[in-house]
Amino acid sequence: MDRMDRNVVVPGDLLSDDPKTAGEGTYVKDGKVFSLLYGMASSYKDKVRVIPLAGKYVPLPGDTVVGVVQDIVFSNWIININSPYEGLLHISELPRKIEMNEMSKYLRIGSTAMIRVKDVDSTMKVELTMNDRRLGILTRGRVAEISPTRVPRLIGKGGSMINMLKKELNCNIFVGQNGRIWVDGQDDDMDLALRTILIIEKEAHTTGLTDRIMDFLRVEKEARS
Amino acid sequence: MAEIRKDYLYHLVLKGERADGRRFDEYRDIVLETGLIRKADGSALVKLGKTQVMVGVKIQPGEPFSDTPNKGVIITNAELVPLASPSFEPGPPNEVGIELARVVDRGVRESGAIDLEALCITTGEKVWIIFIDVHILDDCGNLMDASSLGAIAALMTAKVPAAQYGLGEDYPLPVKDVPVATTAVEFGDAIIFDPDTDEESVADTKLTVITTADGSICGMQKSGPGSISQDAIHRIVDIACERAKEIREKFLEV
Amino acid sequence: MIGMDEKLSFFKDGVRLDGRRSDELRPIKIEVGVLARADGSCYMEMGDNRVIAAVYGPREVHPRHLQEVTRAIVRYRYNMASFSVEERKRPGPDRRSNEVSKVSREALEPVVLTSYFPKSVVDIFVEVLQADAGTRTAGINAASVALADAGIPMKSLISSCAAGKVDGEIVLDPMKIEDNLGEADVPIAMTPGGDITLLQMDGRLTKDELKRAVDLAKAGCRQIYEIQRKVLVDRYSHMEPEICDEAVAMAGEEI
Repeated sequence: MDRMDRNVVVPGDLLSDDPKTAGEGTYVKDGKVFSLLYGMASSYKDKVRVIPLAGKYVPLPGDTVVGVVQDIVFSNWIININSPYEGLLHISELPRKIEMNEMSKYLRIGSTAMIRVKDVDSTMKVELTMNDRRLGILTRGRVAEISPTRVPRLIGKGGSMINMLKKELNCNIFVGQNGRIWVDGQDDDMDLALRTILIIEKEAHTTGLTDRIMDFLRVEKEARS
Repeated sequence: MAEIRKDYLYHLVLKGERADGRRFDEYRDIVLETGLIRKADGSALVKLGKTQVMVGVKIQPGEPFSDTPNKGVIITNAELVPLASPSFEPGPPNEVGIELARVVDRGVRESGAIDLEALCITTGEKVWIIFIDVHILDDCGNLMDASSLGAIAALMTAKVPAAQYGLGEDYPLPVKDVPVATTAVEFGDAIIFDPDTDEESVADTKLTVITTADGSICGMQKSGPGSISQDAIHRIVDIACERAKEIREKFLEV
Repeated sequence: MIGMDEKLSFFKDGVRLDGRRSDELRPIKIEVGVLARADGSCYMEMGDNRVIAAVYGPREVHPRHLQEVTRAIVRYRYNMASFSVEERKRPGPDRRSNEVSKVSREALEPVVLTSYFPKSVVDIFVEVLQADAGTRTAGINAASVALADAGIPMKSLISSCAAGKVDGEIVLDPMKIEDNLGEADVPIAMTPGGDITLLQMDGRLTKDELKRAVDLAKAGCRQIYEIQRKVLVDRYSHMEPEICDEAVAMAGEEI
């Protein structure tokens, strides 16, 4: 099993002879565990799993995402959530009551918002909500897009990476699980934040990344001052 | 496009900046490779930043048009294949693809780059037909300039396959001029050359200027639903001539 | 022309006209992630074939009536550039390219986990930039790598190549002349486990020759598989995962 640990695998690679160890990103055939994805195989809590290197965001209830209004239909906003599936935000899912004829005053086509996935049914109908004080419309700041598969790395162990970025850059940073990152702060700080985020995306699976990013920020900030 | 992104691009322009750090009149890196397609009589792969375009030239004998019995024929086609962009759909060329092909064609034709009379084999019966096929591989903006550059580069390295048709020995296609297209978009008060896809989608107006080796203009195309001032046109033409000269000297000098 | 000579032999001093043994593939080159806009992409050279494959998706299906409620649909469009063949080809699909698209899609569908993405589509686009016999097999090889590059869940990669019969002998991966003037052509595609997902045959073969041809093509597929796999693995071989399990739960938590 260790043999496969920290290895790049392709779909169909044999991972284990014990079907009980089949974790995420794997499948079992003839009592053996194989990879379902192109990714990094790793062992975690007696399971072998494969962390994908690419792929689309598939919404799950409870996810918080950054969405862009695509259309307004009857009492719903149709929201692009950077996924094969569009989200529906019903007029009743706002923190305050509004009328149907006011919908485009509140959120118009092209507006960006921080939204939570409320429910996803078996036909992939995605219901969204903004009924939470931590959610809302994003009018300032900038949005970066990275592969959703790199989101965990951007956040880091226990939030170590993202908290470091926020602190070093004096920026408000919100990481949507759909790979859209909202950054707000001073112009220069936002520029550097977005550049840093893209580096993290590119080097997501390299060791010592947090330290290298620290060094990078130090050098960049010195050059600036 | 999200408003937040549009606002950012406008905000940058006001500061005199672009998202990728280029100056307003600066092109992305250009990489040009010719002769990659052995089955074509001439070919060129153009990389303009991340935009990639393959142009193939095929030369075959055929009948002349009845009103120009002693002239060869140029036929230009562009395929915006769905491999190249999530917004391209399978099917015959739409108006965007046809416009692209026609502007590329205009540069080659109006510059007189190809001496059509030299392509006559038997007056009224047989002439060389030059097919210029533009195949878009990756649309990251400014297909017009990439395609035009690919077309002239492919023509300049093309061979007339005479031997294959029993018409003597193969010879290099004679190319007499080197048209280069340069494109700018206008948004806010800024004029931005070699736009990427984001810049193309926020700008209402795009102007392509094709210039010849002696610095004269041999083709233009305004596209997009917006308007443009005459002053802006002349400013674009001025810079277009400079950029075209640089591109010609760097990539197309024989 | 060389092919017109009736006495032409496809072998000279025991090797083929391009110097290959009968069980040898043409040189192969594969590059992954060559396109910026596509979700996954792959460029492949197989002898003189030059193909490029792009994968978009899973994404929304247009037109909507094509949606399947319980699974993703897979579309495959094989297209030849006008300049890819000796005589310029009219742009756009024809009966041949439609057939190739269908069998190529069906060569890949058995391994794609379509149930993971109901109501969506996985679009595969293959452009042939230069053709020299075997474009459909090169296209399938490139498409399979592009699917992996796009992060599409699959049971395995798919590898594809043909065997042919020339001068009474079974040969691997026929080139243009062998394909045009040979006696038979058998393109196949298969999983690394040996399940065959594409099989076509044209020409004439005895039952015994068919068996030898399929065996030979399978051996070719196994070699191609090793190259496909190596290209994908090497792309990230410098990387080591730092697993952030707690981080997954944390995404989206804070403002």
